[in-house]
Amino acid sequence: MSTALPVTSTSRASQPSLAVKVSGSGRTGPIAANTVLAGTTLSLFGISWDIQWHVDVGPDTFFTLSHLMLYSGSAVAGIASLAMVLIATAAQRAGRPVDQFPGGKPVRVLGGVFRAPLGYLITGTGAALFLLFGLLDLWWHSLYGFDAVLDSPPHIGLFLSICFTMVGSVIVFAAARHTRWGRAGVIVSVPVLIVFSPITTKAFGALPLPVEPDLVGNVLFSTLLLILGTLTIGRRITALTIAAALGALQLVLWWFSPWAARVYADATGLPLRDNLGDDPPELPSEIPVFMLLAAATITALLWLSRKRGWSGRIAPQIMGAGGGAVIGLSLPIQSALLGGSGPASAELLKMTAVGLVTGVLAGYLAARLAVLLREHSTASATKGR
Amino acid sequence: MRSSRSALLLAVAAASGRVRDHARRLALATVAALALVAVSTAPAAAYAPVGVVHTERVQAGPYTVTVGFSEWPLRAMQSLDFTFAPADGIARKSGSVTIDGPGLDAEDRETPLSRHPRKRDVWGLDVQALPEPGTWSFTFDIDGQAGHGRGTLRNVTVLDQPGPPLAISWTVCAIPPIGMLAYLAVGWRRNKPSERVAALV
Repeated sequence: MSTALPVTSTSRASQPSLAVKVSGSGRTGPIAANTVLAGTTLSLFGISWDIQWHVDVGPDTFFTLSHLMLYSGSAVAGIASLAMVLIATAAQRAGRPVDQFPGGKPVRVLGGVFRAPLGYLITGTGAALFLLFGLLDLWWHSLYGFDAVLDSPPHIGLFLSICFTMVGSVIVFAAARHTRWGRAGVIVSVPVLIVFSPITTKAFGALPLPVEPDLVGNVLFSTLLLILGTLTIGRRITALTIAAALGALQLVLWWFSPWAARVYADATGLPLRDNLGDDPPELPSEIPVFMLLAAATITALLWLSRKRGWSGRIAPQIMGAGGGAVIGLSLPIQSALLGGSGPASAELLKMTAVGLVTGVLAGYLAARLAVLLREHSTASATKGR
Repeated sequence: MRSSRSALLLAVAAASGRVRDHARRLALATVAALALVAVSTAPAAAYAPVGVVHTERVQAGPYTVTVGFSEWPLRAMQSLDFTFAPADGIARKSGSVTIDGPGLDAEDRETPLSRHPRKRDVWGLDVQALPEPGTWSFTFDIDGQAGHGRGTLRNVTVLDQPGPPLAISWTVCAIPPIGMLAYLAVGWRRNKPSERVAALV
């Protein structure tokens, strides 16, 4: 009786737990990061489908398939994030070094009870907030009914929560920027955030502003994220690659959203609305379609900055001004091409100026955020993989 | 021999007991998962019917239109259903409805008269919110065999939005982004990225 316990404890001590074993595997980083990315992509496709459902068909409950897709995106990302935090914590408790653990520098949570890689802390926090705002949204619908207002406070809370998860996903991939999967992840996760983040600016839609806030949001987030991705990876063609990935994502969403709405309507026996017309899909048509031009401008200005030796204190703002002006100018043209009224020259001038100013701010922020992202690199753990 | 057989029988019994326990748990988990799926997907197939709790009549030229409301009194920001039913049906008729009231975007004012998605024998608007309280009107332009008709339902009162004041709801929803910005500000102060940005390009 007295001899059994020491033997058991010795054998346990010599055999690390599954979590500790997993923490040392080179595949843990890419599997977890891509699972989170799959979750955020599910959320993006879910929201685009849901918006199109409201436009093309209409009837709504809390549990439509598009809503379930949206919820499952945060669930997938949240579970992967929780797993990574628990694995990092187990590794740290087993005495393994966790400074280079995938997902960004580890952060002490709850007084050191947990060790959470920064990226997964943010992705997981976003997923947890999504759950809380989901409950708030359910209560909201009990008062207001389903589901006429896109920019209700709980909806904006839900959109912000998803954005947090998407921001965390960018941090996770940026931390592995010395690997191929890390760079590829940045190039995919940044466009996902570019598409989703402007939705949050609908919170300001009721304010009497001189410019539509979602247009400003579109310019700000797309310019900022394009420059952020470029400076984080540090390669000249990154902006063009991100813009190409964004274009591919836009094309897929353009096909998927109306297709899914119609297939689901058929499956549930619901008719399409009368007088639908030939309007383009709602969310995909709001994604800037001239991003390759903006990316080419940013790439050219980056090349010029390097050639002339301009300081990083000023070059990102110049890149932002150029890229932002192109995106700002392109938005009214895009609206006209997709069936809106032809843009007046005053509107073009105004949006170019808005794009230029917003782009300067975007460039300023992007450069500094890129510095922070690069410092959270876990290079030695992931280099060469 | 007997003792070894009985030990074997005991082991088999214990093992089968464990298997039964596992099987029971698995069955319970499966039933729970299926129940969850059934509960969660049942409402998806059960879209609420349009319940008209109040009606008003409008004379649009030769056409008498009954306007049905899913809630009464109306409140701002509520998800509402409206039905528009001409006395002799919607067949061989077309037209538009123009809504006028505070806070409505210009592009959302006029819409063609379309069948209600969940009540296909009448025209209507589904999950439509009136953004602000005040006095609203609904103007109908109808073309049919009896010619063109125009009529307006005036002085439809919309009360304040239900629930707590919007400022409280927005404050609650602003807590996470403020928290995130505060976290970013702390990281910014500690790491001082502006000092290292010069070498970035």
